[in-house]
Amino acid sequence: MAVAIAAARVWRPNRGLSQAALLLLWRPGARGLARSHPHRQQQQFSSLDDKPQFPGASAEFIDKLEFIQPNVISGIPIYRVMDRQGQIINPSEDPHLPKEKVLKLYKSMTLLNTMDRILYESQRQGRISFYMTNYGEEGTHVGSAAALDNTDLVFGQYREAGVLMYRDYPLELFMAQCYGNISDLGKGRQMPVHYGCKERHFVTISSPLATQIPQAVGAAYAAKRANANRVVICYFGEGAASEGDAHAGFNFAATLECPIIFFCRNNGYAISTPTSEQYRGDGIAARGPGYGIMSIRVDGNDVFAVYNATKEARRRAVAENQPFLIEAMTYRIGHHSTSDDSSAYRSVDEVNYWDKQDHPISRLRHYLLSQGWWDEEQEKAWRKQSRKKVMEAFEQAERKPKPNPNLLFSDVYQEMPAQLRKQQESLARHLQTYGEHYPLEHFDKRGLQCFPDFSTAEAPPLARMIYP
Amino acid sequence: GAEGHWRRFRGVGLARGFLHPSATVEDAAQRRQVAHFTFQPDPEPREYGQTQKMNLFQSVTSALDNSLAKDPTAVIFGEDVAFGGVFRCTVGLRDKYGKDRVFNTPLCEQGIVGFGIGIAVTGATAIAEIQFADYIFPAFDQIVNEAAKYRYRSGDLFNCGSLTIRSPWGCVGHGALYHSQSPEAFFAHCPGIKVVIPRSPFQAKGLLLSCIEDKNPCIFFEPKILYRAAAEQVPIEPYNIPLSQAEVIQEGSDVTLVAWGTQVHVIREVASMAKEKLGVSCEVIDLRTIIPWDVDTVCKSVIKTGRLLISHEAPLTGGFASEISSTVQEECFLNLEAPISRVCGYDTPFPHIFEPFYIPDKWKCYDALRKMINY
Repeated sequence: MAVAIAAARVWRPNRGLSQAALLLLWRPGARGLARSHPHRQQQQFSSLDDKPQFPGASAEFIDKLEFIQPNVISGIPIYRVMDRQGQIINPSEDPHLPKEKVLKLYKSMTLLNTMDRILYESQRQGRISFYMTNYGEEGTHVGSAAALDNTDLVFGQYREAGVLMYRDYPLELFMAQCYGNISDLGKGRQMPVHYGCKERHFVTISSPLATQIPQAVGAAYAAKRANANRVVICYFGEGAASEGDAHAGFNFAATLECPIIFFCRNNGYAISTPTSEQYRGDGIAARGPGYGIMSIRVDGNDVFAVYNATKEARRRAVAENQPFLIEAMTYRIGHHSTSDDSSAYRSVDEVNYWDKQDHPISRLRHYLLSQGWWDEEQEKAWRKQSRKKVMEAFEQAERKPKPNPNLLFSDVYQEMPAQLRKQQESLARHLQTYGEHYPLEHFDKRGLQCFPDFSTAEAPPLARMIYP
Repeated sequence: GAEGHWRRFRGVGLARGFLHPSATVEDAAQRRQVAHFTFQPDPEPREYGQTQKMNLFQSVTSALDNSLAKDPTAVIFGEDVAFGGVFRCTVGLRDKYGKDRVFNTPLCEQGIVGFGIGIAVTGATAIAEIQFADYIFPAFDQIVNEAAKYRYRSGDLFNCGSLTIRSPWGCVGHGALYHSQSPEAFFAHCPGIKVVIPRSPFQAKGLLLSCIEDKNPCIFFEPKILYRAAAEQVPIEPYNIPLSQAEVIQEGSDVTLVAWGTQVHVIREVASMAKEKLGVSCEVIDLRTIIPWDVDTVCKSVIKTGRLLISHEAPLTGGFASEISSTVQEECFLNLEAPISRVCGYDTPFPHIFEPFYIPDKWKCYDALRKMINY
């Protein structure tokens, strides 16, 4: 305080002085304020009023010492529409989706499930290098995707293939990306399941977790500025929600008033880490209010609950320019990926419970059956048909060559820098001499001038790259 | 934070009078260090229309003003940019273009860059400010793993080319560890982004406009010591200076000197000293773009002179001079008359009170040059 008093004597405040500087020199309080010049004060507060004046919080005083006890015994309730047998609980919550749409939901989930089984197996056989299944979480994908407009921008983590499936991304392209073959729109650059589709407004997946969260917020801000009447949806797991980027995204979305849906798939595990080791509060939904975000927790295995929550969140996010947080509770039935064996950290009984007793596909099938929109015969036929479709796409994908090795070098920048072109030429020369030591027979070599022997217009013969 | 607080008291004698009661105000003034360089303005540019005297922060404001005027999607955001910025680079822009286009974000660098990437993904122009280059590190993952790789990893389906990150950079006399850093070397190792550093107001405006319009994510480091200290005639209208093109600002025949940012003015002075004291003719090159860098201009010069000295404030080991040195010795080995010399900061964090000893000043550069000539 001595410094401030000394300062006050030496330095006379002038008209240009900001409110903040005034407060540095003068002790706030009845006497101090009486001495300051009223016309310079920007705040409207009376020194006789005992209400809190802090800019940082809008709250009353309390004179009893009390810590807020976080409530994790009885957390935020879980919204659902169907029971585990697929029966509507509260008819007023039934979205009354038309038969077409419900069948589309069902077929998207089951086709995804079939594709997952076949591609998981293909990794086991060394045909693709890596795969991640979506078992148990199909409901979170299609329920939310069905509630959006087709042009709403999607930022995902890596376990949202059902969103693309619902948007009719062809099997051929799913497979092309996993095989990194010549049809891959991503040009073979990323590991399997890192899908992207500009046409279907699905931003390409990247491996670092939660990085998409603040990006989705920026995209939503731009959509707001453009009066696009679009929402951005951002998917992430409960593990990724621990990253700093998640905190950043939530805070920015709220302060900058962005039309975004944050959709958290809480599936119980982040690889081997159970939720009890991921957080100690009431999941992710409870964090929303901390940021000033409207939040809800839903049963992620109930397609209609996911649909209803997403639908309403979308409507309000766009109309009111504010973020919404949906925490969809679900269970990861499969392993984290083909590099994981989850029997190392959880019991087979636990997994079986979810597979048999609470699965989004079976719950919706029960609903379909009870509506008379589906039967055993159709189920058999569809299983056969979807398997056939997947197998055909799979065999096609296997046969295609890999992309041209020149594509290793493009798209780093929009234009290729001189130094990089030199490196590209250096590889071409290297392959001229040492080409036999490289798996060139699997790759498209058309237009590669350094390979006079291979510069034909024909694709190479069938050859299967095997991953150890 | 701390920086702004002390600025308010400067020039009043308060801090010195109170904290050093035994010293006179004159002694204290003598003890304050003189800048280690003299800013050399370039001749008034004639080809871009009417000019106005601007210092570096004003030339940045001018570039931003031009950008927001011609690109309705362009937005500027970061900590404290709304009121004008801690270095006054964004003064007046919020009033002129609106609070949806010039706005503060929460205090979170990883959020600022991630948010900026998202805006750019939709095709809008995002101009992010990181308050000091020293604080860019929380955003390193978003820059290196995301921004730089967006186009490549998506097979060109998506990109964030319309993102530009601006940040104050380099020594300022008293900045110490966390207000003086030159982190360009960390980013030089990252294909997919561009890193640009101007030496002057005229260069800054043209290069910044090029970065904003470039279809790749760019980092634009602004030498903070030049914000006020460097002033010259700068065109009012927009203009572009090309990226990835070094500039030979003075031709010479005996030694090539390469630097960027503030250090260009140091080596310019070294060139004069060399001429005067040693009769040596120096070719002075401002690199301007760190990556992708202009290998041809530098090599062409070294082929002519046979000697190369590179200087930067950033620490020696792993500094960008090592990349230049390595490439030049590959390309120009037989032309070299002496080992390539690097005059850089020491391999320490940037010190406070020891700054005059730390920085690669003209005496160290001159001494290295002398040794190269006598090799």
